[in-house]
Amino acid sequence: MKIGFWGASRRVFDLSLGEMLWSRRTIFMALVVGGPVLLALIVRALDVFGMTALRVNGRAIGGIGVFGVMLWMLFLRFIVPVLAVFYGTALMADEVEDKTLTYLFTRPIARGAVLMGKYLAYLVCTVLVVLPAVMLVYFLVVPFRDVPGTFVSLVTDLGLLALGLAVYGALFAFVGAFFKRPLVIGLVFTFGWEPTVMALPGYLKQFTIAYYLQALVPHAMPSEGLTSLLQGFFRETPSLGLSLLWLVVYAGLFLWLATRVVERREYVLEQ
Amino acid sequence: MTKKTRNFVLVSGAILIIGLGTGLVASYLGLPVSLLSSAAGPDELQYVPQNAAVVAYANVRDVMNSEFRQHFRQHEPSSQERNEFLEKTGVNIEQDIDSVVAAFVPSSDPSSNRPEKSAVVLARGRFEAGRLETLALEHGGSAEDYMGKRLLIHQGDAPGDAMAVGFVEPNLVALGGLEAVRQAIDAGSSNRNVMSNNDLMRLVADLDNSNAWAVGRFDELAREARLPAEVQGQLPPVTWFSVAGHINGGLSGVLKAEARDEAAAQNLRDIVRGFLAMARLQSGSRPGIQQLVDSLQLTGEGTTVALSFNIPSEFFDALEAMSKAKPADPR
Repeated sequence: MKIGFWGASRRVFDLSLGEMLWSRRTIFMALVVGGPVLLALIVRALDVFGMTALRVNGRAIGGIGVFGVMLWMLFLRFIVPVLAVFYGTALMADEVEDKTLTYLFTRPIARGAVLMGKYLAYLVCTVLVVLPAVMLVYFLVVPFRDVPGTFVSLVTDLGLLALGLAVYGALFAFVGAFFKRPLVIGLVFTFGWEPTVMALPGYLKQFTIAYYLQALVPHAMPSEGLTSLLQGFFRETPSLGLSLLWLVVYAGLFLWLATRVVERREYVLEQ
Repeated sequence: MTKKTRNFVLVSGAILIIGLGTGLVASYLGLPVSLLSSAAGPDELQYVPQNAAVVAYANVRDVMNSEFRQHFRQHEPSSQERNEFLEKTGVNIEQDIDSVVAAFVPSSDPSSNRPEKSAVVLARGRFEAGRLETLALEHGGSAEDYMGKRLLIHQGDAPGDAMAVGFVEPNLVALGGLEAVRQAIDAGSSNRNVMSNNDLMRLVADLDNSNAWAVGRFDELAREARLPAEVQGQLPPVTWFSVAGHINGGLSGVLKAEARDEAAAQNLRDIVRGFLAMARLQSGSRPGIQQLVDSLQLTGEGTTVALSFNIPSEFFDALEAMSKAKPADPR
């Protein structure tokens, strides 16, 4: 008896979540996400000893400013795309490489459900690692007295990170399902295409995810001296609604394409 | 899902829920700032009611010992009155008072026209409680206990005019209207004090290296002042303000204002910039004053306008020289 698409996805999700969490990639993820937490601990220690962690033009940047810089520079511009590249491109590629794809495809489930279940497992796995790390960084770096005034921004930031993981993950799930060398293509896209196109004038930046994610940036940008400096980079930004719409469209489109590719592609396992 | 995976999900979820819960409670219920981080400002703030509109602080010891004060000492009036005060109360203002915190709490009665009754002053120093009580009783005052603290009360001519001195700690007294002093004692015992007022404490935390400062709500202060409508209309659209100064040889500090919105802040910056330009033109070749005007720096972004200043001791020398050089009045 064939199980429905979402039922099958759930079963694959259950199976994949544990596999993903306790794989060798987890060490990489722990290192990548643990870095900012360690940095936040150092910032906190400096603060306890009355020293300033970050200065711009001789002016000390407060805790919320430091948090803003860490969030945008480390999490949104680096950790989110990197985790998405490494996990997203491996969703199908790992099964092909380990020659275990046959076991999944011979089950009475839709092939697309395999990808969907794995994608959901990736999303839960990364969200459960990245968001608590951001929370720890926030409470380490931002003085408690500033929490009431910045809490809404933190919630926005968390939502933004989850959205970033979802959209980048969908894109790289498609790349992993479609291309032969997905990791290289993913890294070129993240560290080559996106930064280059974002720095150039013109319409090409609309073919990036960072363009729409950064449009949501001013709603939670650090409000101290670095604001003008950082916003200078993001001046050409679409509206909030348009950005959200495009991010949802990208996530849906790439996920649909990825499932279509998995449904139709003839995977040849090398002997 | 294995047990290991389930535990991981639970721990991650717990971190998120605890973090979000703490943030929510802090944002909407106003947790005391001192709960998870060292509170900014002096300890006396625990006796300032939560709804205080203005709080000011002065490190009296620093100010009294400063070169700035020595500069003006020669111009001070006769010390006879001070000696009389010392004789009666046993308090030497120069030596026995270390610091003072003053707060203004808006009256809950909108028809009240006695704003001075809403102020409370907390003075830390060395006081002879017994001697002060005897003095109060000799002058028709009364004494009573309120929440375990001794209060010396002087009833005024009209009901509600009573003034009080409360011994809230062995070396801390609260002075002001009877109601205001009682509110201060309540704030200290209930822990619902200004330290839970996150907006105001944010301003206090921003002050550094200041031995005298004041922070508060400008709009609230203007409202309590009951200015004529024409004057009210001319006031800048400022919500919060802070003034912090460091008094030593000279006087340095920064005056900050938070406008209602960015456009109002920009307008205010433009006005101040205009005044600064005019002051520079007027200062001419008078060295002390020119130095003062040169030290004025306008900064700020968003809704904030900040004006820093540094009045050197030469400025006071110049003022003194100008007053001496004034021709005698022909009359």
